[in-house]
Amino acid sequence: MSILSLRGLRKNFGATEIIRGIDLDIEPGEKHAIIGPNGAGKSTLFHLISGKYAPTSGSMAFKGRPIENLPPHRIHRLGIARSFQVTNIFPRLSVLENIRCALLRPSGYGYSFWHLLDRERGLNEETGRVLERIGLAERAKIPAGEIAYSEQRALELGMAIAGGAELILLDEPVAGMSHSEAGNAVDLIRKVTEGKTLIMVEHDMNIVFDLADRISVLVYGELIACGAPAEIRANPQVQEAYLGEAQGNA
Amino acid sequence: MTALSTKSATTSAAKSAAKSGVWIGYLAVLFLLPQVFDSILAISIFNQMAIAIVFALSYNMLLGQGGMLSFGHAVYFGLGGFLAVHALLLMESGSVYFPIALIPLIGGLTGLLAGIFIGSFSTRKAGTVFAMISLGIGELVAASSLIFTGFFGGEAGVSGDRTFGPPLFGMDFFSDTDVYYLAAFWVFISTVFMYLFTKTPAGRMANAVRDNPERAEFIGYNPRWVRLISFCAAGCFAGVAGGLFALNYEFLTDENLNLVTSGRVLLMAYIGGLGFFIGPIIGAVILTLMNFLLSNYTELYLLYLGILFLLTVLFLPQGFAGFIMMHQAAWLRGKLHTLVLPYLATGLPALLFILCAIGLLELAHASGAELHYLGLRLARDSLPTWAGLIVLAGLCCWLTVKSTPRLRRAWEAAQ
Repeated sequence: MSILSLRGLRKNFGATEIIRGIDLDIEPGEKHAIIGPNGAGKSTLFHLISGKYAPTSGSMAFKGRPIENLPPHRIHRLGIARSFQVTNIFPRLSVLENIRCALLRPSGYGYSFWHLLDRERGLNEETGRVLERIGLAERAKIPAGEIAYSEQRALELGMAIAGGAELILLDEPVAGMSHSEAGNAVDLIRKVTEGKTLIMVEHDMNIVFDLADRISVLVYGELIACGAPAEIRANPQVQEAYLGEAQGNA
Repeated sequence: MTALSTKSATTSAAKSAAKSGVWIGYLAVLFLLPQVFDSILAISIFNQMAIAIVFALSYNMLLGQGGMLSFGHAVYFGLGGFLAVHALLLMESGSVYFPIALIPLIGGLTGLLAGIFIGSFSTRKAGTVFAMISLGIGELVAASSLIFTGFFGGEAGVSGDRTFGPPLFGMDFFSDTDVYYLAAFWVFISTVFMYLFTKTPAGRMANAVRDNPERAEFIGYNPRWVRLISFCAAGCFAGVAGGLFALNYEFLTDENLNLVTSGRVLLMAYIGGLGFFIGPIIGAVILTLMNFLLSNYTELYLLYLGILFLLTVLFLPQGFAGFIMMHQAAWLRGKLHTLVLPYLATGLPALLFILCAIGLLELAHASGAELHYLGLRLARDSLPTWAGLIVLAGLCCWLTVKSTPRLRRAWEAAQ
């Protein structure tokens, strides 16, 4: 059974149709990339899956369970975590607190006001492990708003993978990074999403072809192609609509 | 690895020892104060401080920790106080009988219930919407207090008598000193619980929601619930403060739940420093002291309070606690002494400027022909007096501004 399936998904803002009927099945464990020109609706699609926006029509199911009417925090509790295109962290909390907060709900603390965070050994050990994995253990005590941009992106990734969500959505995880930073970020993404299902939006074609098992091409709110990287590269429709242009630019 | 973990174990042990030291010190100060300063006036100041500390700390659960700007926090303080006075009245009439020491608990319970009810609809959004709702509720309850005179006593208020309960450890609560020890107990308990709250998942998520409510949703939290929990806790402790107020003054009026009281607690928390747990305690102490010391000498007390608030917002946005913490790095590096001279060079002219400015304000306000000020007799109609004060103020202002870059450099060098 597919882990995420979208059927006839549509989203309008007023009279403007942003997502115009998407059918997509994501298999467990796959690394799926969504590409497409600017304004194709890639981020909107992420906002629909993660619950930030409610779809105008159509259905979404996570592991067979309908999620189209759930608010973001409920979707997260089912096992879908995400990162954002624009860095979205808790700037005044320390790096460590950011990760620890991301771990709270999956560790079952909920809205507890009867646990003392510093005394919860399991939670703090797990926080330490996540910090090690994303390479920020040395920066743990610094306010997250004060670390370097590439570190904030790593933190953002850490918050998405902390707590062991099965499906991870990454929205342009290497946007705004230098070439070498992006290379490190790709290694990091590969490492931390091992064994998990990953959907990512990305502009950088090298990274997409490097990381993804399967690619969907989104143009003006519709999927015009979906397949393995080699198929997508060879698809004339895709080349015309997007790829040729993008490679020409790069 | 072993060396590292041993080292971190020793530092964390040292840290927790330092922390318990702070708490023991706090407790000691609370209980020794009335023995060092035992005048009736001092005790009455301490009682007011105790009430203000709990109230300001509870306010900071909203603004500093939860990012909720409330203009109506006096509602929970006042309702807690009114219920507490009614409990005293019931005891007086003989219908109930319970220890006086538990009166603040009645206030706290009232604040909690009011917090649950009002928070259920006011915490949906933070920011302007929350602020406006709090203002509306504040006005509504203050107006109700003049309408429902049966409960609130109208403009005359409601008064009770705290001496009808059973004595506790030989204290019959006839004297303010007895009330102080009870208040000190509740201040300590409340401070401990409010501090511990900041260390719980709900307390930490309150900070997270303050910083970025959207992100909180995508790590599985509903910002509204997070806010509601902080809101109820804040209401509860404001109610405890109200209960202490009822015990201390035995008298509640509409003034205790109106916007003036709400505004005053905002000033206390802000001037003390919103970003630090200890900030509101400092703010409560400073403002209570100012209130007592200045209002005896000048009618311009509220003007000075306004100026102090303005200066804090402009120059010390982190409040007094933030100002103290700015020197932590210098202190840890043992360089604090390098700041003494630069501080004197800026501080003395600044102090003189403040004194001149106060002199000018008082002179403008004075009703008689002469003003007694700092041992001087200043004539109201004398041009040289005015001119002298203005020139001196200008000179000191110039010296202060001139010397600040040096202070800044010294401070940066000490980091």
